[in-house]
Amino acid sequence: MLIVNNLVKRFNSTLAVDNISFTVNPGEIFGLLGPNGAGKTTTIRTILNILKPTSGEIIFNGKPITYEYYNVIGYLPEERGLYKRSKVIDVLVYFAALKNLSNRNATNFADSWLKRLNIFEYRDKKIEQLSKGNQQKIQLIAAIIHNPSLLIFDEPFTGFDPINQQEVKDLILSFVSEGKTIILSTHQMELAEKLCEDILLINNGKAISSGKLSNIKKNFGGNNIRLGFAGDNTFLSQFSEIIKYDSYNNYSDIQLRDDIIPSEFLKKIIEKIEVNHFSIVEPSLNKIFIELIKKSSD
Amino acid sequence: MMKKIITISMWEYLEKVKTKAFIISLIITPLLIITVTLLPSLLLREERPQVEVIGILDTSGIYFDYLEQEFQKYKLPNGRNNYVLVNLNQIDSTYEGIKKIADKDVLKNLISGYLIIEVIEKEFLFAEYRSNLFGNFKVVGRFEEALNYFKTKNVLEKAGVPSRVLDEIQERTIIQQRKISGGGKASDLDFLTTFFLSVVFILLLMMMVVYSGQMLVRSMIEEKSSRLIEMLVSSSTPDELLTGKLLGLSLLGITQILIWILIGMSLVATSLLPITAFKNIIPMLLYFILGFLFYASLFVGIGSTVNTEQEAQHITTYLSLILMLPVVVAMPAIQNPDFIVTKIFSYIPLTIPTVMLLRLNVQNVSNLEIFFTMIIMVFSIIVVTKVSAKIFRIGILSYGNKPSLKEIYKWIKE
Repeated sequence: MLIVNNLVKRFNSTLAVDNISFTVNPGEIFGLLGPNGAGKTTTIRTILNILKPTSGEIIFNGKPITYEYYNVIGYLPEERGLYKRSKVIDVLVYFAALKNLSNRNATNFADSWLKRLNIFEYRDKKIEQLSKGNQQKIQLIAAIIHNPSLLIFDEPFTGFDPINQQEVKDLILSFVSEGKTIILSTHQMELAEKLCEDILLINNGKAISSGKLSNIKKNFGGNNIRLGFAGDNTFLSQFSEIIKYDSYNNYSDIQLRDDIIPSEFLKKIIEKIEVNHFSIVEPSLNKIFIELIKKSSD
Repeated sequence: MMKKIITISMWEYLEKVKTKAFIISLIITPLLIITVTLLPSLLLREERPQVEVIGILDTSGIYFDYLEQEFQKYKLPNGRNNYVLVNLNQIDSTYEGIKKIADKDVLKNLISGYLIIEVIEKEFLFAEYRSNLFGNFKVVGRFEEALNYFKTKNVLEKAGVPSRVLDEIQERTIIQQRKISGGGKASDLDFLTTFFLSVVFILLLMMMVVYSGQMLVRSMIEEKSSRLIEMLVSSSTPDELLTGKLLGLSLLGITQILIWILIGMSLVATSLLPITAFKNIIPMLLYFILGFLFYASLFVGIGSTVNTEQEAQHITTYLSLILMLPVVVAMPAIQNPDFIVTKIFSYIPLTIPTVMLLRLNVQNVSNLEIFFTMIIMVFSIIVVTKVSAKIFRIGILSYGNKPSLKEIYKWIKE
């Protein structure tokens, strides 16, 4: 379990991280979300012990993070690149050796990962001879080859085609079932929505929203329904239960007052018009992200 | 701790030692320097091995016999005469006609050239050597010597001085240069060889510093721009990384030195270089290694602040210029050991290696001075490494604009 308590990081006059706290449980993916320059990378760097926090504490498995934790942390940075003129296997063994793996273990693990990600044929090629996607796979292997218990992925999906994205997603999910502690930092809200149980949304170094994704959605004011019907939509404005609605060709997205039970509303409306579709809609994480960032920036 | 440093240094070493650029520089650099420094002396020493036929067009008719006799003394290594002189007066033609024929013979390579001698007034001669190339310094010099001797002899004889006197005057005094070393023994090593050897060492040091410095900075830029550095510093401390890099670079330097020593030894074996040239080899090597370490640690600190190739190139160029500075003051330094600039450069860490490499071979440097300058070097290496480590720790993680000196100062203070 990773606990971050009241983390503050100040660079000269700028406050990059302003009193952030969160907890990441083993066996789940924690989403660290926010726009560019929100303070995600700084937060990650303090967890990695690359930067010293100005104040606050970071505790992993009951002990504050120190250099001793290097060998149990795996980190995939956002921007990718490797030693272009070096051989794939040499690079992997080097990174594994930096995490205190013996040469023999390093080679064995590297080989089995290369096989698992279907790129074993490139083992003895130079990095620059590989496609961009395959280079990213090598970097992913370099980040996880030492079987770390705390994993930090910064935008792990960018640069992968849909097939490889699926492969990476499956890989990350396999780490969840192994009980690893995982932090995922990304802009891709659809993926975060599918993978993360807990999220922390930050902007300008401050926490805007945090907790279970399902709770965040509920709190966001999620009394939304989608209604499909035949005929004119002007009748919708007659209902006092409706706060606002957006109409499209065959349906309307309607936001109801929080005290209205959607099924009661359906009963009431069904007498007036011919309904051909009715569903309860959760707000997408994407929508929440945009609205919350907008609100906090105002 | 130690294991990671070794892992990093071995990676830095092996990945660089394998590059084609390194292998090429390893062999090309000393070959280039040796060629440039030794070739002129090799070329000068070479004698023309064949007999030269030279025509003499002497309008007065007095000089031919004298010259023919005088030139008997120049022999080829095989004992034969070096020159065969032909009297062109024997050709039955006018003066201009003979010249025309002789010019043709020169162009046809029948004769190497011919000498025209005209008496203008009493002892004043006009002489012209015509051949199909310039640069017949040796033969022209010999003609001049012979003609001048003849003239001097004539003048002296007319004044009633016995010809024996002239021969005594002709005995030249040749000054031999010898360097006195500590033990009071004179060294036979000729001055130019020693001087060139020092310059060779300085050039090697400079090439090595520039080359490995550039390699180091370039790999650091690669690591920074690809954010590899973040994976590295989340696996090892910045100090481990810095020490590993320095160690790897030093290993690279040692490999270079070892191979160069081998080349140097094979040169001694082929007697292109006298063995005495390596008399000061131990202090020279020490200065060389200290100088290399000093600049390497400087490069690590500075290298971590740059983000682009161009910036890196500027910095390496400036640093190598500083390294070359002592060569500029080399001549005055040799002529006057107490030259104030030399003294100052002998105590500045940036220039100690080059100045001392130079002075070791051309002056008598006291052991105390050697000891003292080496202490300065060791001390500065420690200080520079510490400061570089501080810059490195922050520099490797800062992207974008190049930090100002003020910012770097702040990093050092942190």
